[in-house]
Amino acid sequence: MRKALPLKVSVSGVRGIVGESLTPQIAARFAAAFGTYLGPGMIMIGQDPRPSGVMLKKAVISSLLATGCQPVEVGILPIPTILFLTKEKQMAGAVVITASHNPLEWNGLKFIGPEGLYLKASQVEEFLDIFHQGEFTFVPAERIKPILQEKNAGELHLQKILSQLNLKAIRRRKFRVVADCANGAGATLMPQFLKELGCQVLLLNTEITGSFAHQSEPVAENLSTLCEKVRHFKADLGLAQDADADRLALVDEKGRAPGEDFTLALTVDQVLRKKKGPVAVNLSASMVIDDIVRKYRVPIFRTKIGESNVVEKMLEVRAIIGGEGNGGVIWPAVHPSRDSFVATGLVLEHMAESGKTLSQLIQSFPRYFMLKDKLPCPSELAFQAVTELRRRYSKETTSTVDGLKIIWPDSWIHLRPSNTEPIIRLIAESRSAARTRKILVSFKKELLEIMKKLS
Amino acid sequence: MKLLKLSLSGVRGVVGQALTPELVLDFACAFGTMLPAGPIMVGRDTRKSGPMIKEAVISSLLSTGHEVIDLGLCPTPIIQFLTKKYKVRGAISITAGHNPAEWNALNFINSSGTYLNEFQGADLLDIYHLNRFRYKSARKFPKIIHEINPAEVYFSWLRNKIKIKEIGQAKFKVVVDPCNGAGSKLIDRFMSELGVELIAINNEGNGYFPHDPEPRPRNAGEVASLVKATGAQVGFLLNSDVSRVSLITETGETLSEEYTLPLIASYYLGFQPGPVVTNLSTSMMVEEVAKKFGRQVIRTRVGQSSIIQTMLQEGAAIGGEGSGGLALKNFQPAFDGWVIMGLVLEMMAISQKKLSELVRELPRYHIVKDKIVCPPHRLHSLVAETRKLYPEKEINSTDGLRITEKDFWIHIRASATEPIIRIIAESPSKNRAQLEVDRVLSFLSRLMS
Repeated sequence: MRKALPLKVSVSGVRGIVGESLTPQIAARFAAAFGTYLGPGMIMIGQDPRPSGVMLKKAVISSLLATGCQPVEVGILPIPTILFLTKEKQMAGAVVITASHNPLEWNGLKFIGPEGLYLKASQVEEFLDIFHQGEFTFVPAERIKPILQEKNAGELHLQKILSQLNLKAIRRRKFRVVADCANGAGATLMPQFLKELGCQVLLLNTEITGSFAHQSEPVAENLSTLCEKVRHFKADLGLAQDADADRLALVDEKGRAPGEDFTLALTVDQVLRKKKGPVAVNLSASMVIDDIVRKYRVPIFRTKIGESNVVEKMLEVRAIIGGEGNGGVIWPAVHPSRDSFVATGLVLEHMAESGKTLSQLIQSFPRYFMLKDKLPCPSELAFQAVTELRRRYSKETTSTVDGLKIIWPDSWIHLRPSNTEPIIRLIAESRSAARTRKILVSFKKELLEIMKKLS
Repeated sequence: MKLLKLSLSGVRGVVGQALTPELVLDFACAFGTMLPAGPIMVGRDTRKSGPMIKEAVISSLLSTGHEVIDLGLCPTPIIQFLTKKYKVRGAISITAGHNPAEWNALNFINSSGTYLNEFQGADLLDIYHLNRFRYKSARKFPKIIHEINPAEVYFSWLRNKIKIKEIGQAKFKVVVDPCNGAGSKLIDRFMSELGVELIAINNEGNGYFPHDPEPRPRNAGEVASLVKATGAQVGFLLNSDVSRVSLITETGETLSEEYTLPLIASYYLGFQPGPVVTNLSTSMMVEEVAKKFGRQVIRTRVGQSSIIQTMLQEGAAIGGEGSGGLALKNFQPAFDGWVIMGLVLEMMAISQKKLSELVRELPRYHIVKDKIVCPPHRLHSLVAETRKLYPEKEINSTDGLRITEKDFWIHIRASATEPIIRIIAESPSKNRAQLEVDRVLSFLSRLMS
């Protein structure tokens, strides 16, 4: 007997293993629920380059047509581009066939609402309710609309970003850039984007073959080839996109990867340099962001983990820049979503306007050391344990927006039960690696004691 | 009531009610699971629901590991021809033929280019009911191929099978109504290859049906008046996938679709040996024609699949139905409207007779066709009840009930494509036929009330 098959339904959509848990029938049911939820209107359909993308896309299109919606196919495009276009072209919503960085056997559907925003938790609940009821609104044959196709729709997204940047300054520098697109959807636009920015470019993994060249998480371990190429090409900058092209990691001119937190730090600094306004980031983003906002004397808002939480807060407080420490930069001047092209543009603009190299810019920020760990723990116990910790540390400066974050003057720890796995995630940061490790170890120990006591 | 009908020709239903994306996905997955690995062709008629169904079909075929050859808008007989020619595993034609615009259907075609035989049909249903499909894993996925030009390949074959020189010399003028179905536009090419002057109406191919796409006199009004007005020699009325044709003579007379089969038989049997196959509901005109050539007539159940399978078994020269669809030996084992149009023109050119003259040589009978709507679960039991109207008469129960008397025959059967009982009677006397049909109709409506 095979073990339970993984089909993950979450706020950001549905993911599964193609042919096992994710079949054309499942995709069609979700799309029929989505079409029923949104009602007749234009719905953009995009995909990442996975080989199973076309198969799932066709099941989705069939259901959207059957529910009276008009699908607008844009082909393989980055997620931020599709989010942007959904708003720009006044779509009723969008569906993207993607499993971002999951292995190739996986695929998934992401559902995007009007205004190019991910569905809010309350909207997801309504939409899933229709899915579970299985009562879909199918229209009679004469009200079925034709499929529309748009070629080169991504152009509009790039033009919008370019219009928000100091193009003259960037182009004058003729930056040498090595870009690793991880064979993902970013490869459709990154070459053109860098060309428009007047860069001399060496491109890696731009073939959209549907098989990823390497683990597409843009974390330091996966960047060794890029670092080497940056040194070899004598580049000013190395860029690594993830498969969806919503996140970006950087490599400096010496071939060193400073970590994804600096993508956010550099872009926040660059935006605030020119304009003052609120900032919103999630609880786990590095405290280097706190230093930056202090410098510009602007308010900062810390949100629950998850892109839609950050976006929601940003819209609420009219933040002018924000994002996540994993390299996901959100600049509402273009569109309120994580966008690796926006991050690229802002980093280059920062280098161009300051006249500094990337390593100089990074050195100008205080140095912090962040460590992440996890502790296996059944989810009910995890919540109890974190609640107990909240009680114990109630006298400290804490945030209970998402699990528990304890904040000291020059360090912090964030403990949070995972939504998707039976684990507790721990993230700590301080001015030294040894100290961060010490914080982490002591809290892990404390958690284990609490768990023992509780069970 | 959600209208859904399963038969050997496929699965048919009203779009959005019975025919939903999920049902289409399940049937196409069953078909993909049934067939061995290899390419499968997909084509459709012009119905507005066509793309919705096609996307689901392609998704399922890809998911079960088949390469898909997308033929786009393509009449069923051309799909059948290409399936055999390119030695693919099978095909799905998305069309509801003569049904109104709100219907659509999946028609399953095997590697020989014919509709599924009864064993294949049963297999398909078993896999569908089992709901366990052989999905492909996602590492590598088959592709969609668009490269084939269906019309090019098909017409270069057909061109060589009919006497185009003689047809061209006759300088015919014809009126054709493809009902904005899959025959639209292709008809221009076909007639120009034959050297025939074409006046086409409802030739936009936009899926908007100005009348039901069923070739029969009540839908032929437009063609008939144009034939007379333009002095054309013949008018053709097509269904939405060009598998059926009804004819209009040069005088503007709209012929019953029953005439198509005996007319072509009266020409084709002149040089093609073999028996004739037709169904139990079809006019006895073809019997008289066959008798003239000393041929046997084999009667089968209704439906293209039964006719074609019997034709192949018996080596028949011609097989067809009173609905205006037929197949000829030496062409392809499929009801093919292009072949029908080609042969009617060839017959007129060779005989140098007008269509009305050729029709006058056929025996005249009066056929009355009627139907009564009835709950799907009572279809067959109600048909069986009508046996009581004919006690002690010899009946043929191959497909419903058929009684042959001296001065008439009557056939009462459950439709395979709609929830209706069809009643067809034929007699040299119109009143006699009508009387029998009315008797059965009132009997059935009493039973249902």
